[in-house]
Amino acid sequence: MGSPPLFYRWSSKIMPWLGILAIIFLSVGLFWGLLIAPTDYKQGDVYRILYVHVPSAILGQSIFMFMAACGLINVVWRAKISGMILKSAAPIGMSFTLIALVTGSVWGKPTWGTWWVWDARLTSTLILFFIYAALIGLYSSIDDKTKADRAVSILSIVGLAIIPVIKKSVDWWQTLHQPSTFTLTSSPSMSPDMYQPLLLCVIGFYLIFAFTLTLNLRNEVIDRERSKNWVKQIFVN
Amino acid sequence: MLLQGTDPQILTQPLLRFDMKSSVLDWLGIILKRDLIIAFRRSSTYITPLVFFLIVITFFPLALGPQDSLLSSLAPGVIWIAALLASLLAVESIFSEDFRDGSLDDFFVSLEPSFILVFAKVMIHWLITGLPILIASSLAAIILYLPLESFVPMILSLLLGTSFMSLLGALGAALSLGKSAILSAIIVLPFSIPTLLMGTSVVTFSLNNQDYSGFLMIMGAMLAIGIPLLCLLTVEALLLNYD
Repeated sequence: MGSPPLFYRWSSKIMPWLGILAIIFLSVGLFWGLLIAPTDYKQGDVYRILYVHVPSAILGQSIFMFMAACGLINVVWRAKISGMILKSAAPIGMSFTLIALVTGSVWGKPTWGTWWVWDARLTSTLILFFIYAALIGLYSSIDDKTKADRAVSILSIVGLAIIPVIKKSVDWWQTLHQPSTFTLTSSPSMSPDMYQPLLLCVIGFYLIFAFTLTLNLRNEVIDRERSKNWVKQIFVN
Repeated sequence: MLLQGTDPQILTQPLLRFDMKSSVLDWLGIILKRDLIIAFRRSSTYITPLVFFLIVITFFPLALGPQDSLLSSLAPGVIWIAALLASLLAVESIFSEDFRDGSLDDFFVSLEPSFILVFAKVMIHWLITGLPILIASSLAAIILYLPLESFVPMILSLLLGTSFMSLLGALGAALSLGKSAILSAIIVLPFSIPTLLMGTSVVTFSLNNQDYSGFLMIMGAMLAIGIPLLCLLTVEALLLNYD
């Protein structure tokens, strides 16, 4: 998988399956969640935004962990492909974090009465968004792509070390100022018919991530290897 | 000796002499001495962050009004924001001049551990920005009506926090070497949030007569992990420019 031509051939076989699976999981999960799942007795139908909000928030965080793992591999073993994966995953993770923030504030307006609350979870998601922005900003400022990969890898390792600290410190900070306002965790424990579609949505979002990541990565590989023979062979014939 | 600005001899003396007998600590001392001389030659290096810090502090009473109860409750946050911004001000100069005139190349080929070089640079950055800010912070605390009991926790939290900021700043400077200075600030600022939160918590807890030692311990732990981790990553980032 490490060599670009091999990856390109392998990914063109696996990509349609990823796309089909993502469509199946998402359409079933969203149809179930948005139309069939029971209405919440407290929030009414508003809560259904959860089926977009929760998976994108989960993805926003786990893509960062994935990126940091790629960054570590890139710094330690100088594996080129891991740098490309890091670069291709960053905009996807940033988009999911943005979706989580926007849907969260759309959800917050009818239920909490405000678009934004300085709650610990919201704040740490916002900081995660800024860290994504810092990584992408750093990448775009360096012309040499291999160097840019390494620079972003180094920064993502710092991010990996510091994100647990950010989460903990934001928790302490929040409990200091506003003890018990609104938290997402205090909602009544979910019933299975609400939880099962959510699980499908989360899997569907992961599959969408895998699909877009492969798509981005293929573009990146072709772009960087454009002077190589195997690329010419694919595109000329 | 450091302040003799007119002595031309010091520039021609070989400050960096490679000697087989010299230990790592000698090497650290040599770099510290050289960089301190360079910093004291140009007073703007250590005066600019200090003046910036005090100007930012002065702006808050002007913008928010001079009520002393309001100012003393806002003082921890105000002093910490001003300290973070001021310590970022000199970040760009940590490596850029040595990179431009080629002395950084010499450091890297000198067979000494480059970790020491980065550590010395971080210490110098702290000495010319963190230390003046630390001294000026008591002045800032007076004009913001912070109670005297909170002075010691404020100084302690700033001591740990500005050191961590110097470490982060060195990484930001290494990653954005030769690029715009604002880039390093944007890279570093999101990562400085835990320092800001815990630093302000220390001072606020002491204002409310609560126990703040836990936050200081975590800041100390961050510094203890940060010195090896961030210095090594900074070396890695500097080496990107010498492929």
